[in-house]
Amino acid sequence: MSTLASDTRVALAIARKDALAELRGRHATVSTLFFAAVVLLLFGFALGPDSARLAAAAPGLLWLAVVFAGVLAVNRLHLLETDDGALEQLALYPVARRAIYAGKALAGFAAMLLLGLLVLGAVGVLFAVDIASAWLPLLATVVLGALGVAAVGTFYAGVTVRLRAREVMLPLLMLPVLAPLLLGAVKATSAALAGDPFGELGAWLQLLVAFDVIMVVAGAATYGFLLED
Amino acid sequence: MMLWPTISAPQTSMPQTTIYVSPRSLGAHDSRPPAVVTTDLARLFAGNAALAGVSLRVDAGGVIALLGANGAGKTTLLRVLATAIRPSYGRAQVDGFDIDRDADIVRGRVAYLSHATGLYDDLTARENLRFAAAMLGTPDAAQRVERALFDVGLSDRAADPVRGFSAGMRKRLALGRILLGNASLVLLDEPYAALDADGLSLVDQLLVAWREVGVTVLVASHAADRLEPFLDGRVLLARGLVAGVEGQGVTSFPPSLPVARGSLTGVSP
Repeated sequence: MSTLASDTRVALAIARKDALAELRGRHATVSTLFFAAVVLLLFGFALGPDSARLAAAAPGLLWLAVVFAGVLAVNRLHLLETDDGALEQLALYPVARRAIYAGKALAGFAAMLLLGLLVLGAVGVLFAVDIASAWLPLLATVVLGALGVAAVGTFYAGVTVRLRAREVMLPLLMLPVLAPLLLGAVKATSAALAGDPFGELGAWLQLLVAFDVIMVVAGAATYGFLLED
Repeated sequence: MMLWPTISAPQTSMPQTTIYVSPRSLGAHDSRPPAVVTTDLARLFAGNAALAGVSLRVDAGGVIALLGANGAGKTTLLRVLATAIRPSYGRAQVDGFDIDRDADIVRGRVAYLSHATGLYDDLTARENLRFAAAMLGTPDAAQRVERALFDVGLSDRAADPVRGFSAGMRKRLALGRILLGNASLVLLDEPYAALDADGLSLVDQLLVAWREVGVTVLVASHAADRLEPFLDGRVLLARGLVAGVEGQGVTSFPPSLPVARGSLTGVSP
């Protein structure tokens, strides 16, 4: 079997296992969605009832909610591996370390994509933003943003999963690294909602693509060191 | 024990009368490299030497017991050989492959039963084994998973989440996972712990089955009497050092590390 086919098989097996465990236990879904909804509502209350103000702030709120809830989601996905020595067993399988990273990141990406789309819909309803007319660039932004959060989150969740203070350490490590993604995703969302009057959407999406490529490659290359004791 | 209900495996490739173990093509015993060679193997934890310089050769194809008191270094030696932890000093080879440089190859040749089972609580027994089969690249995975569940006596609980399993059932399932691979070296850490009478007998049968197909087994256990009929050789560890070896298929060498010589003082094999 070729290396690529073997890596793909392993990554899909891990992602499928995470999805199955999530469907059974619902460790991540419920808490993450509630958290995102609470973040959106609190920001809404803080900004007041002015609908123009809320609409203007919507792209920033959308991505803050996605990123904050994303920290929770990737942490929960890695907590599965703390079941009775599961992480050590995962590391002992005769498979490429990059394939293990790819599998965990794929599961994270699926979770983040679902979260991003649901939060986008919630923003459209709560803040009276017309997302339907710009659905394609918004979808591209959510896909790229979700991949970036999953790529960074999977790596740092691997760093913190063995730590006692992982719930504190994970956002401290993850959020500064996600700053370029947050900037690019907010700007791309703003441009898409405004109809891209200055033709800047493409550049922000390119920034997101570059961020994703760098983080996925770096994560895949270094994740193996995190599995070693 | 349940009859074999669902899978009609070809009798030639998967005999149903004994536990099915799938060895790699191992060849004749005398043509194979030693299963394990360690040279001055040491591992420190927070400055304390759990292994203090173990130099050992285990020939291919036997069942070797690692004996010794708590803290003697049995589990640490198994974990280093399984590539779960790196040695602090010294070298080790499995089937002639270096555990550090050729770790990927070694992982394909070693199966390890540790104190932790490495099972996912939210998945069923069958799902856990199917995941393991996918990770191990097991051919005919669906059949092999059902066979392994049958062999470890969990066919009737295959669809139940592992969360509700007892310690003994979890250990059986972890043994089932080993049956899905084709290891040439099996490392067992206290395999008899937590098992009922049937479970104890299962481990006995596994030792016999592995031995018959030429798989090397290193087993750390306090149940020396239980193990005795199946053993080819014994290694006594004390304070992270080899305090003595006896029987066939295992040889120890004097430690060359200064720390090892120092630690050996006062240990009587």
